Amino acid sequence: MSSRYLVGRLGQALLVLWAAFTASFVLLQLLPGDAILIKFEGGDLGLSPQQIAEIRLAYGADEPVLLQYVHTLAGFLQGHFGYSIQRGVPVTEAILANLPATAWLTALGFAVATLLAGTIAVVSSLTGLRWLRSLLRGLPPLFVSVPVFWLGIVLIQIFSFRLKLIPVIGAGEWEGLVLPVLTLAVPISAPLAQVLIRAIDEVRTQPFVTVARAKGASSRWVLFRHVLRNALGPTLTLAGVLFGELLAGAVVTETVFGLNGIGRMTEQAVNNQDAAVLQAVVVISAAGFVLINLAVDLLYPLIDPRLRKTVGATT
Amino acid sequence: MGPKQTARPAIRRAPHQLRGMTVTSSLSVSRRIVLAGLVVGIGLASAPGWAQSPTPKAGGTLVYLEQQAHTNLYPPAGGFYPNGGILNQITDKLTYQNPQTLAIEPWIAEAWAVNEDKTEYVFKIRKGVTFSDGTPLDAAAVAKNYDAFGRGNKELKLPVSEVINNYERSEVLDPYTVKFVFSKPSPGFLQGTSVIGSGLVSPATLDRKFEDLGDATKIVGSGPFVVSKQVLGKELLLTARKDYAWAPKSSANQGRPYLDQIRYLITAEDSVRIGALLAGQADVIRQIQAYDEKQVEAAKYVIYAPSTRGVNNSVVFRPDNPLVADLRVRKALLHATNAKEIVQTLFSPNYPQATSIIASTAAGYVNIADKLGFDLARANALLDEAGWTRTGNGLRQKDGKELVLTAYESLPQPQNKATLQLVAQQWAKVGVKLNVLAGDAGSRVADDLDPLKTPVSPAMVGRADPDVIKSQYHPANRDVLRQKGGQSSKVQGFVDARLNGLLEAVASEVDDQKRLAVAGDIQRYVVDQAYAIPIFEEPQAFAAAPYVKGLAFEAVGRPSFYNTWLDKK
Repeated sequence: MSSRYLVGRLGQALLVLWAAFTASFVLLQLLPGDAILIKFEGGDLGLSPQQIAEIRLAYGADEPVLLQYVHTLAGFLQGHFGYSIQRGVPVTEAILANLPATAWLTALGFAVATLLAGTIAVVSSLTGLRWLRSLLRGLPPLFVSVPVFWLGIVLIQIFSFRLKLIPVIGAGEWEGLVLPVLTLAVPISAPLAQVLIRAIDEVRTQPFVTVARAKGASSRWVLFRHVLRNALGPTLTLAGVLFGELLAGAVVTETVFGLNGIGRMTEQAVNNQDAAVLQAVVVISAAGFVLINLAVDLLYPLIDPRLRKTVGATT
Repeated sequence: MGPKQTARPAIRRAPHQLRGMTVTSSLSVSRRIVLAGLVVGIGLASAPGWAQSPTPKAGGTLVYLEQQAHTNLYPPAGGFYPNGGILNQITDKLTYQNPQTLAIEPWIAEAWAVNEDKTEYVFKIRKGVTFSDGTPLDAAAVAKNYDAFGRGNKELKLPVSEVINNYERSEVLDPYTVKFVFSKPSPGFLQGTSVIGSGLVSPATLDRKFEDLGDATKIVGSGPFVVSKQVLGKELLLTARKDYAWAPKSSANQGRPYLDQIRYLITAEDSVRIGALLAGQADVIRQIQAYDEKQVEAAKYVIYAPSTRGVNNSVVFRPDNPLVADLRVRKALLHATNAKEIVQTLFSPNYPQATSIIASTAAGYVNIADKLGFDLARANALLDEAGWTRTGNGLRQKDGKELVLTAYESLPQPQNKATLQLVAQQWAKVGVKLNVLAGDAGSRVADDLDPLKTPVSPAMVGRADPDVIKSQYHPANRDVLRQKGGQSSKVQGFVDARLNGLLEAVASEVDDQKRLAVAGDIQRYVVDQAYAIPIFEEPQAFAAAPYVKGLAFEAVGRPSFYNTWLDKK
């Protein structure tokens, strides 16, 4: 891996972050109203137009848009994400309080989803039982059609309220993650399993598989030694893209389970047009996307040795 | 302490309790009869015999599930229920409004004196009260609180309190005597010292910027509980103050609160809150919808529906919009609205049908149900008279314009979308269309300020003083009718000087009897002008496990956990 490649990727990453920041800034400006309007001007606080004008002035909400953009950008560059009007705290504080929960939820959710997808794909490819095979292959379409919201509530009703196995309220740190992780993992596992199964089927028709089988290799040996490795490419690409799904799933999961995370914070910020929070979330998610895709690109050559050579030969 | 039950929670459950009797064992039947008796007000006082384990037990942690996270805990921002539910445990007030009698009783103020024209109030502060940071709660601290609440603080961005009108200044007469001076007669001030928004906080808290007060741990009060831990947007832990000894005189408990701790957990999902309560994972939950009440009662859990004692859940008009500028149109829609059907279809007996624009339990209430009758024939006649004629598609038209109105649903109000949709169905019968919009928060607030875009709006507000009517209707306050010179710059010309005059009179009339008479005049006037269509008296609905005892509510329905204890082995 040349350092030039890395520098190039880093430059790209910064460009993506800036573009995400700018696009979200413009979009938030285009929305009717803003957080101050929602929080202070609905009439519920009985503030006079003069008091509202003072509040707007204090928050710098009526500055020219370009100036606001420069101020906000400068703040972000220095690590100041601004102030959450709706929550009444600095955005950095809100994010630090919420990030760990989401990080654990999404990381574990993804791990479980991978495990689930891998199991479905491998077992359905190896089994000689026709009914098991069609049952397992029927799972991904089912999983992908299950709404996260509904799944969460059903899991709570069954495992927490009826069977009383895991409390939802006041659960321990790890205990409390079991159901949310499962809720998040099931829909995410579906596309992974689907793509992996399709890739395995495709690779199995390749001549080298026939050669390996002709040499007397067992079907299991061929799958793990040759087929799986070749089939992982498309799955890995998809895994990078699924990061977005994970975040979207976190919004719903965190709301249903009352978890304190970035997803729930985003949902509340959207409802209240809390621009500072949304900007920070957009930039952080964009950074997450960039990092994950970088990791995926760096992983490719490790899985597929052919890619290592082409990199060397063409650049 | 004797086995006294404290202030009876404002449970309005008599019909349900009685219905429950038929299916319970004889032992609990007798308990229920006594309970029902309590509810209707027979043999209240101290009811030592009715509970199996009447002696309050100290200790334990109460788990309380709240639907929404708190926002800013600067006391004047306590109107938002999640905020008030916390502030009521951690702050004390100068005076205590007895939730049963609505009388103002001494609390932090031992005594007070008011001058003839209600422009000067002198309070004698109880000695020995401290904030949880150790600072004494004395006249200087009280003066500092009211200066902030009454005048705001621009530098720290502290807004002015909604309940304090015409505030001029404070004077510390001696370390335990404080005087407040008003620029105009302010008869509502005494009651204003008893509300959530007037919770007293430590001078150190008032030195902080408004934006720092979203952090509950920075709110230092003198109340029976202290915020000991906060996970923003998720959880709040309150711990009992063991040295608390300054409860209102009428409280049975005068010492430390019985509970050791209260855990507030934010659980947004309705079904999860109820499920968790019934599965024993929580003790008390807030916000339960009418359609879920049966499920809770079937499990022998208790529903508490204290009244908010304020302006009823209503539909209001913005007469600045030409479509509803004609009194006959508004009157027609008032008579086309079938509040009874709404209450019976969507709600429960905890939501009594409105008989005025304010609740029947509110101060100054007058029953004007005769003006609110559902009368389709009259509605049709009024619309015909106003020149709106029916067309082929069933909609009424005048000068080529159809009578199509718009309203945004209000998320905090119970089942508001369903309520408005039912109103829309009822209005459709007289040829008027009501569009009910959800919309994003930004559009909702922006459009709601513009009478042309939203001629109709849902509205309610709670406070146990006739001032509440002014809070709701006066252009300088919530301005629900959208008058010129009020909240909105979009209003073309609508002003009702007569209404505003009456509202100002209720806020400044010094004679109590006259003040209540004015409050009555306003109720009649608002309905005569058909500015508002009151629908039901809005309660705050809570559900609790049967072993939760002594759960009480302040005058406007926020929970008070001071006397609460857990009857568990």
